[in-house]
Amino acid sequence: MSLQTDVARDVASEVASVRQRVALTECEHVVGLRLSGPSVFEIVDAICPCELYLQDGQMLHTLLLDETACPVADAYVCADGQDFVLITEGLSPDELRAYLRQCAPAGLALDIRDLGQSQRPVSLNGPYAWELLSAVLSAEVIGLPYLGFYHGSGFTCFRAGKTGEYGYDLWLDRSGDDGLLERLLNVGGEYGLGRAGLSALDACSLENWVFNMRREGRARLSPIELQLQWRLSYRKAFPGSARLGELRRAGPRRRAVLVASEHELSQGDVLCFAGEPVGEVVLGERSPTRGDVLGIAVLAMPHAHPGVGSLEVARSGASTRVISAPAVNNRSLYVDPQRHSYGTRSEHVFPPIWSTGA
Amino acid sequence: MQSELMQRVARRERILSRLQAVVVRQLQYRREADELDPDAPLFGSGFGLDSLDAVEVVVCLETDFGVSLSEHELLRGSMRSLNVLVDFVICHGDPKRVLAD
Repeated sequence: MSLQTDVARDVASEVASVRQRVALTECEHVVGLRLSGPSVFEIVDAICPCELYLQDGQMLHTLLLDETACPVADAYVCADGQDFVLITEGLSPDELRAYLRQCAPAGLALDIRDLGQSQRPVSLNGPYAWELLSAVLSAEVIGLPYLGFYHGSGFTCFRAGKTGEYGYDLWLDRSGDDGLLERLLNVGGEYGLGRAGLSALDACSLENWVFNMRREGRARLSPIELQLQWRLSYRKAFPGSARLGELRRAGPRRRAVLVASEHELSQGDVLCFAGEPVGEVVLGERSPTRGDVLGIAVLAMPHAHPGVGSLEVARSGASTRVISAPAVNNRSLYVDPQRHSYGTRSEHVFPPIWSTGA
Repeated sequence: MQSELMQRVARRERILSRLQAVVVRQLQYRREADELDPDAPLFGSGFGLDSLDAVEVVVCLETDFGVSLSEHELLRGSMRSLNVLVDFVICHGDPKRVLAD
């Protein structure tokens, strides 16, 4: 059963599903590897830029870096019994295996199993994602903490997400014997379930300033420039840590920031302030939720602050301004599983997801 | 940079530094201030603050910046990142306390 949406279809309606209801996305671009063996902790600890304090059923959100301290993958590291599970974007299964083998301490063996061979990753995102999943899986979903996961019959459910809404990544057995996907689709009608393609998820990531390995992750920026220092620790060694330490000691000279404009912004656009170039657009696209154009720009530090307006696109003369992230006021902030439900949503007043005054 | 803009940026930087200090000192966050990126998420992932930390932040906003209690209902949407908090302080804080070093 294919969940692919028509890319040319209305991304805005898919984003609206994510922002206001719940949407299902096929995530075959996501790679999952199960790592095991007697040295698995030492190996994962060696490649993980975060302190590896995890209990069974917990995960952390980090990056895998190369020796130049640029991200090569967006990664969740999950502690699963004696094993670890790596859920990543940015590398193929073979590339991820090669990275692990290259970065593992010499002489330590690792068993690697590609979860994608037997399981199918899909994600559910939206302010009522918890409600649909609790109806289809179990009420356990509601109590699942952020960055927690559990196994069920025919699936593993990870609470994560990169849209700013309630997010669940499901790895479903490919056999489909248990009919979970069919049940999700059937029951989903009661919760306004829509489909969302990758373009819609990418748009949500940008609106929420969630790092996207497939977009700004390709810009060869450091975690310091990307404002991702929370995903790593300066108190341990990992691939790229030496270079990262050098960059930190030198101090940041530029920073990636969220920019907004009424006009088109394109990758590579040079941004000027008072006629002088001060940075460059990494990506830009119209925000389906806000209606204006949002982008990520890398600006010289004196200009990399919200409120700095009057930035001019050298190519077109269009003006843009730096804004604070995130750029939307997610409905999921206000939807409380103890008090709200999709069926009674019209009885509740929620703050606007975005207003022109924001 | 234009002087008015420079002043605005300098004011933001001062408020940001004070908020970073709050996170490190009051919340005993095990990081140095320069690691607290201004657009990083405060809760969930990101700094990983929880609801108890949120109460601490509210108290600090009140005592350090004069944000009035009546504004609290707006806080949920304003505690997304340090930069959004700075915006909130600028809009809702007591100007005298906001400008104090």
